Order: sequence, then structure tokens, then C-alpha cells
Amino acid sequence: MNDTVDDPVDGRLAFATTEATDISVLPKRLVRRPHILQIVAGDVAPRTIPLTQDSMSVGRSNEADIRIMTADLSRMHMRIDRTRRGFKCFDMDSRNGVFVNEVRVHSAVLRDGDLIQLGNVALMYHEGS
Amino acid sequence: MSFLVRFWGVRGSIPTPGLQTHRYGGNTSCVELEVDGVRFICDAGSGIRELGIDLMEEGPKPLTAHLFFSHMHWDHIQGFPFFTPVYVPNNHFTIWGPRTGDRRFARLLGGQMRSSYFPVDFHDLGGTISADDLGDGERVIDGVRVRVFHQHHPGVSFAYRFEKNGVSVVYATDSEIDLDLDDPELPLRDPGALRGVPQDLVAFCRGANLLIADGQYTDEEYPKVVGWGHARATTIVDLAVLAEVEQLAVFHHDPMHTDEEISDLIGHCQQRAASHGSDVTVFGAREGFELRLDRPPGRRQTQY
Repeated sequence: MNDTVDDPVDGRLAFATTEATDISVLPKRLVRRPHILQIVAGDVAPRTIPLTQDSMSVGRSNEADIRIMTADLSRMHMRIDRTRRGFKCFDMDSRNGVFVNEVRVHSAVLRDGDLIQLGNVALMYHEGS
Repeated sequence: MSFLVRFWGVRGSIPTPGLQTHRYGGNTSCVELEVDGVRFICDAGSGIRELGIDLMEEGPKPLTAHLFFSHMHWDHIQGFPFFTPVYVPNNHFTIWGPRTGDRRFARLLGGQMRSSYFPVDFHDLGGTISADDLGDGERVIDGVRVRVFHQHHPGVSFAYRFEKNGVSVVYATDSEIDLDLDDPELPLRDPGALRGVPQDLVAFCRGANLLIADGQYTDEEYPKVVGWGHARATTIVDLAVLAEVEQLAVFHHDPMHTDEEISDLIGHCQQRAASHGSDVTVFGAREGFELRLDRPPGRRQTQY
């Protein structure tokens, strides 16, 4: 058991071991946070979508992995692939385009906090671990 | 028509890997243009290594590409020995000189691969590498019109304009246009005022879909680095406004600038463009961005 000493030296916390720690109660591996898309604007917001597959499509179609029923979206509007450089979004020849941080892109490697705009739908990308 | 622009390296001076450059990227200059299947590569900084990896993944088909160099400073050539496709037989690359008979770029590029610097000699590369030039400063290469412009940089540097069917991209890095302002004191006297950049440069950039330009320094930094060969980001905004380009990619990010600092600088540039009444899209060039420019300027795409 580790006890915090109530009387810290120089304002720092100090620890004193009084018993051996039982490591069997510790997690066997670090918990990984998934990469996620967070819908932050549009009719279907707020919503959080974990990127659990290596390739996921976004659009109005029944066939889309992430189906968003909004007139601004094409049937197959955008694809997001896991690549060795990180997740990457691709415009699937959509009518209204894919904008990353207000720049219309054909494709873009995504970084934490990027805002993806598809018509009136805005999605924020969060990098996992 | 298909006109694609891919950013592989956007950093100035030296590669800067790390958490603080994760968003914009730390590789030095390399931009790829693919125009109806014809490939142009501007500069061979460390970013060209990533391009090479992608091209190798596309399969064994013979590859042809045209290489253009702004100049031969280290950060614009250092990636070439690590560009895997040049080692592959049946691949063919042309290194373009800016003037009639100018083969200097091809010679200097090979110089960095002498045995004292690198284990593989330039002449032992498996691919075919030839040299050509832009003659009087303009050539049509595989249907794409290419023009050159001389820039202000220690030892001189060159900007290039690539154009087909009214779609155009200007690649203009390592250029200290602040030394050529009509009124060099204006930025200090009235920082917000529109600066008079050289008219021939404005004409060269006129109406481009995309201007990729060196905007390494903030207004505060620039007085300490006059003569180093790079521009204030705010000055290239004024160039973009005067030349009425559609999009400006602020390029050649300072190796000391963090992602956060670059984003702040870009925000300032966007405000400046708006203050001049311009609707030019200003963004920070970023590794991994691919733009498709298949419409002449003026036919704006739907934006939100």
C-alpha cells in the first residue's frame, strides 16, 4: 500500500511504501482510445462514431458505412481509410465536396482536431492512441 | 481534365519531425502536380521520400516524371537520394533547367551523391535521368505550359507556373519579395496597408487557381532576417490579392514554428486578405493535402 505523506517537503507530495503492491489488480495492457469522428453540426449532431474499420464510407446511401440522411450529401460522399500516415479522407466525386478546415480537398491525411465539412454536416476528427 | 496537387513536404530549411510539427508536417519542400496523368515534381526536399514510397506502392509500371527545382539549396535536394523510383530500371526522369543549355541543376543534384556524401553514385542509379531546359523561359511539356520566373534569393531561385486548359498553379518558394517592394518602409509605417509587390511577379501569378508561396516569417520576425531569402507571410497575401488568385498556400514554414504558431499566422493572413476585400482562400500548406483543380478560376465551386 502506498500512502501519501500529509506533510510534504518543499510543497511536493511524497510517498512512503508500507506494503508490497498487488500488481494482479493492475490492467494487463494500456487501454487504447479509438480514433473517432464526432458530428458537431448538422441535423444528426451531436453523435460520436468510432473508426473501427480500415475503410469506411460516408453518404446518404444504404450502402454507406456511416449513413447521414441530409440532402447536401451525395450518396457516397467521402471515404476514410486507415493508412500508414494516419486516417485519410477522400472525396468520392461528391457534388458539394469535402472541406478540411475550410479548404476543399480531394484527399487529406487527418490530424487531431481537423474539422471536416460535408454540406451542412460538420465532423471533427479526434486521433486515438 | 484532371489537375491534382499533392503536398509532400512544406517545411523550410531543415526537416523538423516531432509532436510540435505533427499537423503541418516536418518534411522539406516537395510538391507533386499530376495533370492528366503527366507528373511534375517541384523540389526534392525530404518530402520526396514519402512520394517515392507511394509511387512504389502503385506497382511495377514504368514511371515518367518531370523534376523542377526552385534552386539547389540543401533543403530542396536532400530527399533525392532517398527517392526510391530513381533506382528502378525503366523509370525515366527529366531534370529541367530554367534557361537554354542550363544543365546546372542535374549536375549539382548528382554532386550530393558523390561517395564522400552518399554510398550510391548518381551515375549508378537504375532509372534513366536526362536533362532539358525551358529555353527562353517557357515550354509546353506533354501538353502543360510551363513558365519560369527569376526570384530574389541568395544565389537566385526560380518560380514556375504550370497551366493547362485555363487551370494554373504557381510554385514560388524561397523568394524574398519584401526586398522588391515599391515602398520597403510601408510595412513598418502602416503594417495593414496593401504592399506594392513587383508588377512582373503579379502578372506571373495573375489569376492562378493556386499560388504556393514562401511565407516563412511573421511581421515581427522579418526585420531580424532581412536578406535571408524568405518573405513575410503577410506580403504574399498581398501578392495573392493583387494577382487575384483563387487560393494561396502559405509554404516553406519556418522550422522553429510550431503547429500552433503556424495556425495563428494563417489566421492572421486570412484576416489580412479579408481586410483587403479579397475572397482568396488562404491556408497553410500541409503534408498529406491533395487538391483537385479542374475548373478555371471564376467558376467557383459550392462552398459553405
